[in-house]
Amino acid sequence: MNDLLQDADDAVRLVRGMLRRGEEGEAFRERKRVASWTANEAGLVSASLTEESGTAVRLRRGTGHLLVARAGDSPDALRSAVRDAARRTGTSPFLKSHRAERAARADAALSPDDESFAALLQAALAKALADPRGIALSITVSRIATGRVVVTPRSAVWCGALSRLEATGTIRRVEAERSFCFQSTRPTAPALETFSALLQEALRPVPAAPPPGGETDVVLSPAAAVVFWHETVGHPLEAEAGERLSVLSRVRSAAVAPPDVDVMDDPLREDLPGSYLFDDEGTEARRVPLISSGVVGDLLSDRRTAGPRSNGHARTPDFRRPPRARMANVVVAPGNRPEEELVAICGEGLYVREIAFGSADPESGRFALFVERADVIRRGRLGGPVGRFVLTGDVIRALSQIDGSPGDTVTSSAGLSLCVKGGDPLPVGGAAPALLVRSLLARPARR
Amino acid sequence: MRPRETALFDHLFQDAAAAEKGPLAGAELYERRGWQVEVTEGEDGISVTDASETGFALRLFRGGRSGFAAAGPEGARHLVSQAAGLVPRGRSRRGFRAASPLPGEAHERTPLTDPPFPDEERILETIVGFRRDIGVAGKGAVSLREVSVHAGERRERIATTGGREASWESTAASIVATVAARSAAGRFSARVVAVAARLEELSLARLARHAADRVLLPLTGEPAARGKADVLLDPHVAAHLVGRLAPLFFGDSQELLLAARTRGGRDPLTSPVLTIVDSAFAPGGPVRGTRDGEGTPMQRTAVVDRGRVASRLTDVATALRTGWPATGNAIRTTWHSPPEIGPTNFFVDPSGGLSPVDLLSSVRRGVYAAVLLERPEVDLAADQFRLMAAGYAIEQGRAAAKLSEIPIAGRLSEFLRSVSGTGDDLKFVTGGRGGAGSPTLLVPRWNLG
Repeated sequence: MNDLLQDADDAVRLVRGMLRRGEEGEAFRERKRVASWTANEAGLVSASLTEESGTAVRLRRGTGHLLVARAGDSPDALRSAVRDAARRTGTSPFLKSHRAERAARADAALSPDDESFAALLQAALAKALADPRGIALSITVSRIATGRVVVTPRSAVWCGALSRLEATGTIRRVEAERSFCFQSTRPTAPALETFSALLQEALRPVPAAPPPGGETDVVLSPAAAVVFWHETVGHPLEAEAGERLSVLSRVRSAAVAPPDVDVMDDPLREDLPGSYLFDDEGTEARRVPLISSGVVGDLLSDRRTAGPRSNGHARTPDFRRPPRARMANVVVAPGNRPEEELVAICGEGLYVREIAFGSADPESGRFALFVERADVIRRGRLGGPVGRFVLTGDVIRALSQIDGSPGDTVTSSAGLSLCVKGGDPLPVGGAAPALLVRSLLARPARR
Repeated sequence: MRPRETALFDHLFQDAAAAEKGPLAGAELYERRGWQVEVTEGEDGISVTDASETGFALRLFRGGRSGFAAAGPEGARHLVSQAAGLVPRGRSRRGFRAASPLPGEAHERTPLTDPPFPDEERILETIVGFRRDIGVAGKGAVSLREVSVHAGERRERIATTGGREASWESTAASIVATVAARSAAGRFSARVVAVAARLEELSLARLARHAADRVLLPLTGEPAARGKADVLLDPHVAAHLVGRLAPLFFGDSQELLLAARTRGGRDPLTSPVLTIVDSAFAPGGPVRGTRDGEGTPMQRTAVVDRGRVASRLTDVATALRTGWPATGNAIRTTWHSPPEIGPTNFFVDPSGGLSPVDLLSSVRRGVYAAVLLERPEVDLAADQFRLMAAGYAIEQGRAAAKLSEIPIAGRLSEFLRSVSGTGDDLKFVTGGRGGAGSPTLLVPRWNLG
């Protein structure tokens, strides 16, 4: 994918020529390759391969923003986008190419690596589906590789190449249906091993025990805690323009959680799916403390919200969409209590193993977490599984109800997949220890 | 139009046809060109996004199986080799094969031209109009944080080795707004969406009223009392529930579930007052097209006729496999996704419905669910649903106190069979894929909680 930088000097010159006094902007190139396999309970059904590349030119003048997106990542596509952007803004950039067109791209048919991957995937599915009776499975597994370049008036910046494995689908039994999602940036073998284990776990029958209702204390497993932090702290600290203040940005520098709580957004964690070296505006990625010793930290910002003081969190789902300040990987520091101790301290409550998805309104602070798998906690010990339910609460209140230090072991989450905000999906990741939260409101889920 | 790309389509088709020969083999080549413009006005200024799209997608068929590959113009020349490597070995009863021509259609390959650029002036007028309407609907208590208006037009064509040649065009428009309100009870913000086939068909005043209710009702009302009450669902609320029923009718994928819900077809699925239809020609529907992603003409399909399951939505493969008619429901969400069965405009037929005022007058004690506060929860397999709405109490046929929370939940089949009246006020919402629509629905004596 490094040939995206082949005409770097020309591209920089074009972008520099496009910008007039008082304007800022950049060009953005993206190439994405997605190899997907769909499977049902009998095994692999079909495969597909998509290659898409595109170029966008972005201009900012005062409070005005322009994005012109064109198909292709060639120098021609950039010139076309610059020409059209210039037409709209009334300037005439230098459009002549100074270098020969790059060589034709190599044939990108399904590679032998993909074919061996399909065999490994088939084996992983067979292992997870040892007994497919009574199960209707519909799942799509994709290998996604993206490469991105941002061309600023000064330089062309390689944002990094990311390869990840993503799986989404549904599992149906006679009287129950559940969604399944998984993603990993690990090498193929360990990623598929985890995929198989999680799918096997998800294929278990849904427990018949009635879900709880009313206020309850919960211990969130590391995987569930990642979703909790993502919704309650990550989204409310994504910078928004104007006066659109979220519950946490209204209380910057205030202590909202116990002093043992440290949460940061870390785009530099290469083992997590939200990682990158430079953001989609070409700003160097930075770790941003969201909660430090229980105190609300910084906002995640981009150039639109912070200008040159952006902390490198401008992210876009593809070249056609303008970047916005978004999370990458929420990472929580370990505490000093083993998970068993959290369960024991909880006394009576629930141990949440898996949260299917969540939502939050940063303005009002209300959030909802849809729990797919949980066990009851009785007298400080784990009991049997319970049916699906929804945990709801208020961000500030929930953070204040965290009971002391988190667990002592941090685990990355494989279930956190795409985060959709404002209709724009992005891969995100997270790693967190287990957590005890008192008095969240639980109600049965019907979805 | 670029001559090089016109020739590319023809060359690709020739190569694909040569690669796949035989009675159970074939190829389908698809091309899409489109423009989209989106203008967003927020507290930090105005942004304009101007995006073009051009893409090719090839499906090769062999032994009832298919391989799919897609690429933009720069990578399209590799599509045949890519797709050929993706067709699974062996035979399948899934029935994938190249579509044949439709009776009476001329087999003429027409080059695809670029669609006209969307009218930006009209987009700006739409934003100005919505800003004015939200001011009126919110009576100054609702602020508009951000509004995005999108308009797009695309042209598509398809050619198959079975002899189908077709081209068609479609348009789409949407408005997405983030509104907020605050009171002593707190703050509330919400994102509201309206979609239509054309910009001028976006109902701005209705969306503005909906947006105002969406943020004001949760802040100003009281939670509804638990217990039995007549439930009147606003079309905006009912449409979301109706849209979630669509997967029951996607080909033959849910036959066991449908059989279980209807005791093998002996029982009705819903109340006899409900007829549920999929149609790309529905007035006010966000989807308006002539053909689906396989080039099959779209049509009106009644999946539930007066309460009884009547038909299914199909694509070419399902129609061939089951013998059911092809209904034109193969949907390509993007040019680089294979077509899948999906809805166009999926809605409750309002024919014979009463005016919403008459429905309201018939309620002595009940609730009017005006807006949804949360994503509806619908589990078709478990036959359960839950809607969290806000609205008004109804006393003696008139709207009374504001209600901040109206929880409507229970057994889905029972709820659908309990519908006793429909309105004549069909409205559509965006239903993920396609549109979902309903008129006002009346469900007597439902247990709230």
